[in-house]
Amino acid sequence: MLPWNYGVHWTVGTAIFLGAFYTVLVIVVTTLISTALRSRRALQAGETGDVRWRSDFDELPARDRACRHELTGEVEERACINGFDCRECDDHRKFLEKRPPSAPGDKTFESFGMTFPLDRLYHRGHTWVRREPNGTVTIGLDEFVKRLVGKPDSLDLPRKGQRLRLHGTAWRMRKRNVTLRVVSPVAGIVVETGGPDAEWYLKVRPEQSDLRHLLEGFEVQPWVAREIERMRVALDAWGQAPDPGNGKTDVASIAANCPLPCWEAVCGVMFLRP
Amino acid sequence: MDRRFIPAGVSRCSTAKFLLWLAPWAAMLAFGLYSAGLCLVKGLNQTHMNNRFAFGLWIFLDLTVIALGAGAFFTGFLLYILKRKELRAVVNSAVVIGLMCYGGAMAVLGVDVGQPLRAWFTFWYPNVHSMLTEVTFCISCYLGVLAIEYVPIVLKNRKLRQVPHFLVFEHELHKLVYVFAGVGTFLSFFHQGSLGGLYGVLRGRPFAFREELGIWPTTFFLFILSAAAVGPSFILLTTWLVQKIARKPLVRPQVLRSLGRISGLLLAAYVLLKAADTVVWLRRTTPRSGFLPAQYYAWKPFGVWILFAEMALFLVPMVILLLPKLRARAGWLVSAAAMACCGVAVNRFVLTIQTLALPTLSFDRFLDYLPSWQETGTFLAVLAAAVLVYSLSFRYFGLFPEERELRREPALASESEPVLAGK
Repeated sequence: MLPWNYGVHWTVGTAIFLGAFYTVLVIVVTTLISTALRSRRALQAGETGDVRWRSDFDELPARDRACRHELTGEVEERACINGFDCRECDDHRKFLEKRPPSAPGDKTFESFGMTFPLDRLYHRGHTWVRREPNGTVTIGLDEFVKRLVGKPDSLDLPRKGQRLRLHGTAWRMRKRNVTLRVVSPVAGIVVETGGPDAEWYLKVRPEQSDLRHLLEGFEVQPWVAREIERMRVALDAWGQAPDPGNGKTDVASIAANCPLPCWEAVCGVMFLRP
Repeated sequence: MDRRFIPAGVSRCSTAKFLLWLAPWAAMLAFGLYSAGLCLVKGLNQTHMNNRFAFGLWIFLDLTVIALGAGAFFTGFLLYILKRKELRAVVNSAVVIGLMCYGGAMAVLGVDVGQPLRAWFTFWYPNVHSMLTEVTFCISCYLGVLAIEYVPIVLKNRKLRQVPHFLVFEHELHKLVYVFAGVGTFLSFFHQGSLGGLYGVLRGRPFAFREELGIWPTTFFLFILSAAAVGPSFILLTTWLVQKIARKPLVRPQVLRSLGRISGLLLAAYVLLKAADTVVWLRRTTPRSGFLPAQYYAWKPFGVWILFAEMALFLVPMVILLLPKLRARAGWLVSAAAMACCGVAVNRFVLTIQTLALPTLSFDRFLDYLPSWQETGTFLAVLAAAVLVYSLSFRYFGLFPEERELRREPALASESEPVLAGK
């Protein structure tokens, strides 16, 4: 039946059957080749970080992808589909237009004994970003994960001059045999590195001055409340419920006390890793 | 020991316990491979098939697992083409089940052809007049498609995705998975249909022969519809089983109910068409062949009970799955899914074994057939391999994306007070 075989008799049926069969084969092979080429392009363009973030983000449960406007009560229920990059979101602008002008509020916000200065912007992966007068931004870990992780066992900071991509890896740290990947809240070039002993971890010259994707002002308080709830739920799932006696758990004691799989799961939740 | 390979945020049993679970299946696989090896080395005289009874246990099981494995293509079709997003929760599991069903069927066919070294002849010198050609081409192609669909599931493993090449390839492949879902649906339609057509064109076997609709006998369409109807039921059943064995929720109950509803609707269509087909077959096709319907059921053990059993095994689950109140109860839902799976097995058994056993000429006799231990062993190898691959996939790859979230679900429902306190 195949054209190169002895005694082939071509009929309409043969042509349709072989045509359909070879079309399927061509589609499958073309799709695979296209995938390989696209992958090669992405690797050459250094988009691994973006891909990792997009892949991680897509796997987050809808609750963990709650829109910032859901946190503030501007909308009842809404899951983000833009990888927490509100600059790509058409609805974000509409929500901002509806917001009443905000009066200057407190300079800090306190929750469960943790202080969150409001002179800076916050990323959902628990980093903060502070604009500096010289055009750079300073990046640090917020009080919440600082208490959760404590002093890391080891730290892998980027080199000076290294380029960070938004939502790529800003730096890695290890605690209790678990590697924690901190998501970069901005894209830019690293100009200076700090560490856990300093107040900050990185100083970066940002590629864009537009930082609308970060939380600010009155958005921080409901976000922190949601993060506390998310952590409580994550702990509860591993049977690490708070002591019913006082209903409280010391954040700083979690790293030391909860079993390794629980620690890994809690860190995954807090650092937005599925 | 293997904690680094297990998806983060989920719990699995200890390595020792897992190995203990794998051991009997590995032993069964070894026994099955020995049985298959005997058939390959010594020939098909190791089986109880002969020139008259050329289709036996293997073909019956091939047809059954291919029908049950249809959940893979149908779930993919519903999710990626019809956008039934709730089925994302089971699509990975469906792919693994499909891969094992089709892979097992192909492996058994490799033994069944008797001369496996010449198996490639079917591709090189295909017979355009044979439904088997369509079956061979489509199943081989679809097995390839399923293997491709399995790749992203493997590459999602937490260790493998640390390799940038794997991470990016998986991401890019996943973006185009709808192409494979479409191709898989096309191929599945044709091979499921051709498998049915294979029997429907047997003019010399009035028990199987059916009249044509267009260029295909009615069994072509009935096989497609029955596979599409039972596939979701099998996914439902296996998901429930895995939940019971793993002792944890893996998907939301509404996903199982949705699978049940889809299965029920398709079963209704199938029952309707099958009833019409049976009436035409008994009242028109059979008399034209010079037979009386009663003659088909005059040979024990295939009495008329088997016809009613087959009908009941489709009709009862159809009713259960279509009634929301019954569907809402796990016991009814799972029993109905199990019945539907048994129904398709009986249907394939009847068309394979009963068709060949019944005499067609006046001097023919009713043929007996019982599979040899080598045939049974070869089938057990397929079953064992399927369980082993599924177990490894469940442990190391995220087969159920909702598992992590469901672990947290009960806590989300609780109304305890905030728990944090600063230092």
